[in-house]
Amino acid sequence: MHWVAGGFVFRRVESPFHKLDPRTKLLISLEFFAISLLAFAIIQVAIVLASVLFVAVYAKSLKRIGRTILMSAGFAGFIFAINLLFGVGLVSSLLYALRFLAIVSSTSIFFVTTSPDELEHTMKWLGVPRDIVFAFVTAVRFIPVIMLDAFQIMDAQKSRGLELEKGNFVKRIRNMVPILVPLVVNSVVRSGELAEAMESRAYGATPKPTSLYKLRLSRKDKSVMLVSLLFFAAVLYIYLRVKVPV
Amino acid sequence: MINFSNVDFTHQNGVVALRAINLTIDRGEIVAVVGENGAGKTTLVRHMNGLLKPSRGIVTVDGVDTRRRSTAQLSRKVGIAFQNPDHQLFSDTLENEIIFALKNFGFPEETIRQRLDWALNFFGLEQYTKDSPLILSGGEKKRLTLACILAWDPDVIILDEPTVGQDAIQKERLAEVVKMFKSVGKTVVIVSHDVEFIWPLQPRLVIMSAGRVVGDGPARDLMRDRGLLESARVTQPQLVQIHAELKASNSHPFVDTLEARKYITDMVKR
Ligand SMILES: Nc1ncnc2c1ncn2[C@@H]1O[C@H](COP(=O)(O)OP(=O)(O)OP(=O)(O)O)[C@@H](O)[C@H]1O
Ligand SMILES: [Mg+2]
Repeated sequence: MHWVAGGFVFRRVESPFHKLDPRTKLLISLEFFAISLLAFAIIQVAIVLASVLFVAVYAKSLKRIGRTILMSAGFAGFIFAINLLFGVGLVSSLLYALRFLAIVSSTSIFFVTTSPDELEHTMKWLGVPRDIVFAFVTAVRFIPVIMLDAFQIMDAQKSRGLELEKGNFVKRIRNMVPILVPLVVNSVVRSGELAEAMESRAYGATPKPTSLYKLRLSRKDKSVMLVSLLFFAAVLYIYLRVKVPV
Repeated sequence: MINFSNVDFTHQNGVVALRAINLTIDRGEIVAVVGENGAGKTTLVRHMNGLLKPSRGIVTVDGVDTRRRSTAQLSRKVGIAFQNPDHQLFSDTLENEIIFALKNFGFPEETIRQRLDWALNFFGLEQYTKDSPLILSGGEKKRLTLACILAWDPDVIILDEPTVGQDAIQKERLAEVVKMFKSVGKTVVIVSHDVEFIWPLQPRLVIMSAGRVVGDGPARDLMRDRGLLESARVTQPQLVQIHAELKASNSHPFVDTLEARKYITDMVKR
C-alpha cells in the first residue's frame, strides 16, 4: 500500500534532467508519447520503451518509472487478454499491451520529474486560465495529503480491532467503510477550509496577481530540445521508410 | 508488560525517528512521555500496538513479539486513543461508534450493552446516543474517541495528546480518569506537551529528544532538572518553578514540591 502511494508523491531529485525547463521535459514526454502511439511493430515499441527507460536512468528515476510500469502492467495484461479473447492475433494483442505501457511510461516521465510548482508555471505558460491551473495543481498536491490521511485512518481503525488483511472479498469491501467515511468527510471539510483560508488571503482580489518566477530556456534546454527533435524526426522517418515485420 | 529492547526505527523516507530505545513499562505504571515536536513520541507509542514494527531490535507486549501479531489482535490489550478524532469517527450514531471495537473483538451482546452504557455515561455523552458523531464539538469528539477505546477495557491505555482542545473542567476530569485507572491497576501512557496536566499525576516521566530517551525517572525528580528539560524543550511546571525560586531566596517553608500547593492555598487564605 505504502509502496503504491509513494508513486504519486513528487520527490525532488538532483539530476540533470530534473533541472531542465519543464517545457523541455514536456516536449520530450510528448515526443515519446507520439512515437509510442504511432509504433506498429513490437520491435519499435520495445525500442521506445528502452529509450524511455534510458531517460529514466538519466533522470535518476528508474525506480519510480519502473513502479509506474509495474502498476499499469495489470491493466496491460487486461488489454492483452481482451484482445486475444476477441480474436485479435497473439502478436497484435501483445503489441497493444506493450504500447499501452510505453504510453504510460512516456507520460509519467514528465510527471515524475516535474514539481507541482513547475507544473503550475507550465500550465500558465500554455495559457490555461488561472482558476483551472489552481484547481489542477491543488488536486495534484493533495493526493499525497489524502494518502497520508488514509494511512492514519487505517491505523486508527486497526487499533480498534479492525482486521484489514483478513476475510473474504465481501468482508474486505465492508471493512473499507470505516476507512472511506472519515476519508471523504475529511476531504470535504478540508476543501471547505481551504476555500475560506484562500479567500481570507485575498485570492482573486486582483485580476492579474504578481508572478515571482518566470520560465526561462537555458542554452542547455535549447540543445536538449534540438537533439530530442532530431531523434523524434529520425524515428518518424524510420517508421515511414523501414519495413519491419509486425 | 511492554518492553523495548534496542529499538531503532527508520521511516520510509529515511528519517530516523527512534534510536537505541530501551524501555520497560510495567503493569500498573503511569508513564508520561514528553519531548520536543518531532522527538519521536508518537512513533514510540505506535510501536506498542504493532502499528509500526521496529527496524531493528524487538518490542514485546506481555512477552510476545509485536511482529507476530496483527495490530487488531494487540489492540485488545493495548488501546491507543489518537490525537485527531476526525481520523476515526465514521458511524451513523455515537452508539454504533462506541460498539464498533467491541463487535470486532467479539464481545457477548450483554457485555456490549453494559460497556456502552458505562462509556456514554462516564464521558457525559448520553444525550447524543442516537446522534451522528459529526455534529459534536471538537472537545466532545475527542471525548468520544476516548470512550470508544475505554469501552473495551484494555490493559494498557495510551493517550496521544489527550488534553488538546479540552476546557479546564474536562482536563480535570481526564486527570481523574487517569487516577482511577491507576487505582484499578491499569497501565497508562500519556504523550503530552501539557506539563501542568502531567505534574499532578506524579507519573514516571520519559523525556525524549531527537529519537532518543534522554531522561527516565519519577517526574518529581526529573522536573527539577532545568538543563535536561530545556534540552528537550519541556517547560517546568509552575509549581516546581515557584518552589525553586522560593528555595533560592532561602525562604522556603516546605521541603517537597507537593507541599507547595498546600502552602500557597494557606497563603491565599491568610
Ligand atoms: N509517516 C512518516 N513518514 C516519514 N517521517 C515521519 C512520519 N511520521 C513521523 N515522521 C518523522 O519522524 C520524526 C518523529 O515524529 P513523531 O510524530 O514521532 O514526533 P512527536 O514526538 O510525536 O512530535 P509531536 O510533538 O509534534 O507530536 C519526525 O522527524 C517526523 O518528521
Ligand atoms: Mg506526536
